[in-house]
Amino acid sequence: MGLAKTDTQSAQDVGQTDGNIITTTIDRVINWGRKNSLWPMPFGTACCAIEMMATLASKFDLSRFGSEAIRFSPRQSDLLIVSGRISIKMMPVLKRIYDQMPDPKWVISMGACASCGGVFDTYTLIQGVDQFIPVDVYIPGCPPRPEDLIDAVLQVQQKIASGASPKGVEHLLET
Amino acid sequence: MNEEKEVEEQPKPLILQKLEEHHADALLSQDEIRGTIVVVLRKEQAYAVLEYLKTDPELAYTFLVDVTAVDNSQMESELMQFDYARFMVVYQLYSYQGQCRVRVKVPVHENDLNIPSVTGLWRGANWLERETYDMFGINFDGHPDLRRILMPDDFEGHPLQKDYPLRGRGERESFNFDKQNV
Ligand code: SF4
Repeated sequence: MGLAKTDTQSAQDVGQTDGNIITTTIDRVINWGRKNSLWPMPFGTACCAIEMMATLASKFDLSRFGSEAIRFSPRQSDLLIVSGRISIKMMPVLKRIYDQMPDPKWVISMGACASCGGVFDTYTLIQGVDQFIPVDVYIPGCPPRPEDLIDAVLQVQQKIASGASPKGVEHLLET
Repeated sequence: MNEEKEVEEQPKPLILQKLEEHHADALLSQDEIRGTIVVVLRKEQAYAVLEYLKTDPELAYTFLVDVTAVDNSQMESELMQFDYARFMVVYQLYSYQGQCRVRVKVPVHENDLNIPSVTGLWRGANWLERETYDMFGINFDGHPDLRRILMPDDFEGHPLQKDYPLRGRGERESFNFDKQNV
């Protein structure tokens, strides 16, 4: 098995013996696979989405980190990127899309608006989507640079590799 | 000296000439602001004049760029000018033929928020008038489908009226997030 050779981070996770045999756990192998092929569902509603597009384009190239397979169907994705302002009328749509994603799923709240309403403390704007859906990684900035989004994806990867549960199921595990 | 003379000698724009000739009684004021002609019309004649602007073969303002409104309730200078009409409905027109624009404004009093819809002249007015209704509460008579377009259907009030609180009246907390048709 070439597992330890292709992924140096996982090398510490596996017990290595002489020859071609390594030992590990099923969970670690699965998480290793999950982490390196996140399929994002973009929810771009405002200017932050422009930076998200730049992140996916050739200059920043999110595919270097295995997350370029953008799906516009929530059924096929496991990483929700909320980038932009969410109004009270849009929130049920976002919630529905989050609910339609299969578990396990992770959420990135990109930018000041998605995370806390930003400068729009107004009658119609949700002051942070985490009031309604569980968020794993927040990105500050208005807008955050593509590097910030890449960093957030890497943090989600770290979280997966460490075996931590997505924020969305933590409450299920407690009870 | 010479320059001043040249300015004075400029001919009056065609649209103002023609409006003075055919619809002088509808004109409340005429002005030119940063190169755009602005005319203010009496509400009663507004539809007829807009139709004239569109159909007159020399003017041919066939393109309705925008319909919106302004709430002047905190602009004393504007209010005084037009008999304390709180709202000003604004039409932006463009003529491909003359390659020129005109801004048409119509004062609307708070106690009578009705104004004829121009959807019969420009079909594109449909959503623009819905937005103006949604945001300012102006009722467009004869509109085929005057519903809210931006705010949720069960929203109360018109948020671009100046007395509407910026942070709303608790909609962010009271909004029913489960019952909406998604
Ligand atoms: S955080 Fe800034 S860039 Fe991002 S959606 Fe809000 S206003 Fe636009």
